[in-house]
Amino acid sequence: MRGGVLPPAMLFVALGLVLAFAPRRAWVPSFLALFATLGACTLLPVPQVWLEGVFLGCWITVIVTAANVHLVRGLPPWAALALSVNTGVWASAVVSVSGSRLDLLTALPCVFILLPASWAVARRAPIAVKVVSSWVIAVAVLAVTLQLLPVTPGYLPDHLE
Amino acid sequence: MCAWLAPRAYRTAEVVVIVSTGLLLSTPAKAHTGTGLPGGFVSGFIHPFSGVDHLLAMVSVGLWGAFLGRPLLYVLPMVFPAMMVVGAIMGMFVVPVPPVEIGIAVSVLVLGLCIALPVRAPVWAACLVVAMFAVFHGYAHGKELPSAADPISYSAGFVLATGLLHVSGICLGFLNDRPGGMLATRSIGGVIAGVGAWFVFQGMHR
Repeated sequence: MRGGVLPPAMLFVALGLVLAFAPRRAWVPSFLALFATLGACTLLPVPQVWLEGVFLGCWITVIVTAANVHLVRGLPPWAALALSVNTGVWASAVVSVSGSRLDLLTALPCVFILLPASWAVARRAPIAVKVVSSWVIAVAVLAVTLQLLPVTPGYLPDHLE
Repeated sequence: MCAWLAPRAYRTAEVVVIVSTGLLLSTPAKAHTGTGLPGGFVSGFIHPFSGVDHLLAMVSVGLWGAFLGRPLLYVLPMVFPAMMVVGAIMGMFVVPVPPVEIGIAVSVLVLGLCIALPVRAPVWAACLVVAMFAVFHGYAHGKELPSAADPISYSAGFVLATGLLHVSGICLGFLNDRPGGMLATRSIGGVIAGVGAWFVFQGMHR
């Protein structure tokens, strides 16, 4: 089992953390871009044979997005917009291949980690956000590695499946 | 009894007490046991709290970081989970390493001593020590991780709990600013080192 709420939730957490380093005027366009992408992409069918690639892309997106908190000059508005669209694409794709739209709705509030994160950045404690983003990256790296293992007993169906 | 409660509030309180007592006393359904595959976010989150050796090492990292001040205050809680992941990957691919249990026990001993003495290590040395021990902690869990029923949620819970234990160590380190606080935190370090010595002794005689 590897679908469900967690992959889109991690994507939204990574986006929320990185948006804290973007100018406030970029927040609304970024959210609009995210919601529009989610709305559009959930309607598109994703072939089940793409499952492995979609999960790999999802976790790599989490790593790349979360790593953007380390940009020295903060996140430019165009990058915030691009990351929002990218997050929307992968979140809807991962839910399409393994999960339900309800998972997406459940995970979506995670993006509002932006509020405490921006509060920390405004109080000159951006390092707290960077520490949390390093934990997000750690989980995503583990997820990618688990995917590279040939088979894990956790993914094998048990006698009830 | 409880005359100060309105009747409705009293009934609500009664229901809350009954339900919470039931929840506390109930045991999990045993319909589907025996697979030996723990998993899920909650399982991963609880795990570091259930092993004293891991718990003490992770709290010690935060506490030592608090002693050393910036930048190690926040660098160590980044280094430990990152290197734990490296260790976990080594564990998944079963890369041979020295005895892991001894490594974990030594980590508790050394980190406890670093707090008790207290050792003012340079940034690179502190990072090296913490990174080395994190590999052992990660290795132990990485070996088990692929067997978890939901390894990704499990690892997310585990990493979050690890981070929070570091933060609790840092919070404990704030005692240093209070009168007598330094003595208290150094004593905690001494106790941790003592427990670590016991773990090493046990590990050697197993």
